[in-house]
Amino acid sequence: MSPPKNPNLHSSKLANELILSLVVLGVLALLPAFVQSPYWLGVLIVSMYFAIMSSGWNLLAGYAGQFSLAPAAFAMLGGYSTGLFFYHLKAPLWIGLPMAIIIPGIIGLVLGRIVLRLSGAYLALTTLSFAEIMRLIIYNSIDFTRGDQGLNVPGLLDDRLAYYYIFLVSLAIVVGLVYWILRMPLGRFLQALRDDEIGAASRGVNVVRCKTIAFFVSCAICGFAGGLYGTFARLVSPELGLIAQTGLVIAMVVIGGMGTLVGPLIGALLVYTASEFLRDVGGIQMIVFSFLVIIFARYFREGLWGLVRRGFDRRGGRGPGGGQPPDGRSNLAAKRGA
Amino acid sequence: MALMRIENIKKRFGGLVAVDDVSIEVEKGDLLGLIGPNGSGKTTLLNVLSGHLKADSGAVFVDDKPVLGMDPAQLTRLGVVRMFQMTRVFNRMSAFDNLVVCGLAMGLSETQSYARATELLEELKLVPVMYLDAGQLSGGQRKLLEFGACFMVAPHIALLDEPFAAVHPIMKETMSDFIRRRNADGQTFILVSHDMPVIVDLCPRSVCMNAGKVLAAGMTQDVLQSEAVIEAYLGQDAGEQHHV
Repeated sequence: MSPPKNPNLHSSKLANELILSLVVLGVLALLPAFVQSPYWLGVLIVSMYFAIMSSGWNLLAGYAGQFSLAPAAFAMLGGYSTGLFFYHLKAPLWIGLPMAIIIPGIIGLVLGRIVLRLSGAYLALTTLSFAEIMRLIIYNSIDFTRGDQGLNVPGLLDDRLAYYYIFLVSLAIVVGLVYWILRMPLGRFLQALRDDEIGAASRGVNVVRCKTIAFFVSCAICGFAGGLYGTFARLVSPELGLIAQTGLVIAMVVIGGMGTLVGPLIGALLVYTASEFLRDVGGIQMIVFSFLVIIFARYFREGLWGLVRRGFDRRGGRGPGGGQPPDGRSNLAAKRGA
Repeated sequence: MALMRIENIKKRFGGLVAVDDVSIEVEKGDLLGLIGPNGSGKTTLLNVLSGHLKADSGAVFVDDKPVLGMDPAQLTRLGVVRMFQMTRVFNRMSAFDNLVVCGLAMGLSETQSYARATELLEELKLVPVMYLDAGQLSGGQRKLLEFGACFMVAPHIALLDEPFAAVHPIMKETMSDFIRRRNADGQTFILVSHDMPVIVDLCPRSVCMNAGKVLAAGMTQDVLQSEAVIEAYLGQDAGEQHHV
């Protein structure tokens, strides 16, 4: 039996979000035809770095409900994995970049096991502490990491446009991976444990396994973003793991649409591009984004993608559930069971 | 051979003994009522049986297999399913997806889960709201949905904690009919309820608990007429009401 067709069902929602993600990626593929300035290409590349990180964090926080405050720390660990392999062992990037996925993934897996029984504020505080500990270890291990001087990392290519497309392909792979995970039973299990962990366990969902996988994949994606960014910037430093970077990731996901496939893409592109326009006003940009996060968290929980979806639903005459009940009654009547 | 054997279960919270040396045998096909005043230990006992609490001592066997210490997911996959007094559904998923996720977790394929979810939604009269998020449903509809989730794969034993509390009479009847039909097919239930007419109607056997101990056990009519049960739980007037 094929699933019933309704936009509020998991399979339909996911398919619609995949289509929109492909549209966003398509627009990004065409942008260099109109944007030739190396500066703005650089801005778009960094936006895509944040989009990769946001997609990874969204899988953990938006879909699995594990509100980690360490995505930037894992990007930093990814960058340093590549950098340290090169600095100490002269390892080429074809070894260094996979290490940017594997090492943060394994550390994320261990962190996931440590915080298994934590939720809410306790989970957030533990991951925040972990992020700061990691950053301070790197900052203070001068002999091993060169501390705040950072590490030089070799670049993949010299051509900025080629880098742009490397980031675009990487982003497409990450979106495809997240879609594939969400399309599997695991995707539904993650959302079930986000909504009610005890309820999910009582329905037979292996909560420990699901959380562990979510931590591993999310941290590996963030690490990959950091590793790739390091090769673009040719430098990794402890600043990659600053809490302000995590704040930016959270702002991007909340504004774009938390718990949606396309939200982090839209959020990262809009917020980072906007932050470039706000660069002249200095520190005020974080105030603007924080204010926007409060507005979205309070009034538009589904973010910009949720607003777009609601607009489509209204135009299509669909109700809050995303469709009229099959017997033709109003949604309100159906809700009341009348 | 009993389907579920509960032997000398003890559970204490600090100085309070919530379940005190409780032993119950549940035969296959039983529909056992578990009654008693608030705080008598019924829900704590169900929490132990469904793996949500660890007992301090005692043993539980399902089909002669020791199950105490297993986690809730393991027990569910073994066929010991649980419905909670405070509804636990997945609020941001549609009613249909709520059931599908349970089917998948129990090892059904996607196609089997879709088919089974559709059957259950029809049987529980939830088709009109199947596309709404569970968080948008009424309290009664959410109870029905959680009830249905227990039956995505026929369980060995269903532990139902106050399924009829704060539920519209029509939905209550839908649930009662469902329980009757499944029980006629050999499905085993432990039903916790304060709704005495429902207990009398549905449960041939009952156990009454008070202060963590089993006060009386046996045929429901006999339990309801027991002096100890009338004194501790029902009160004199109610005891006379349930006397047939």
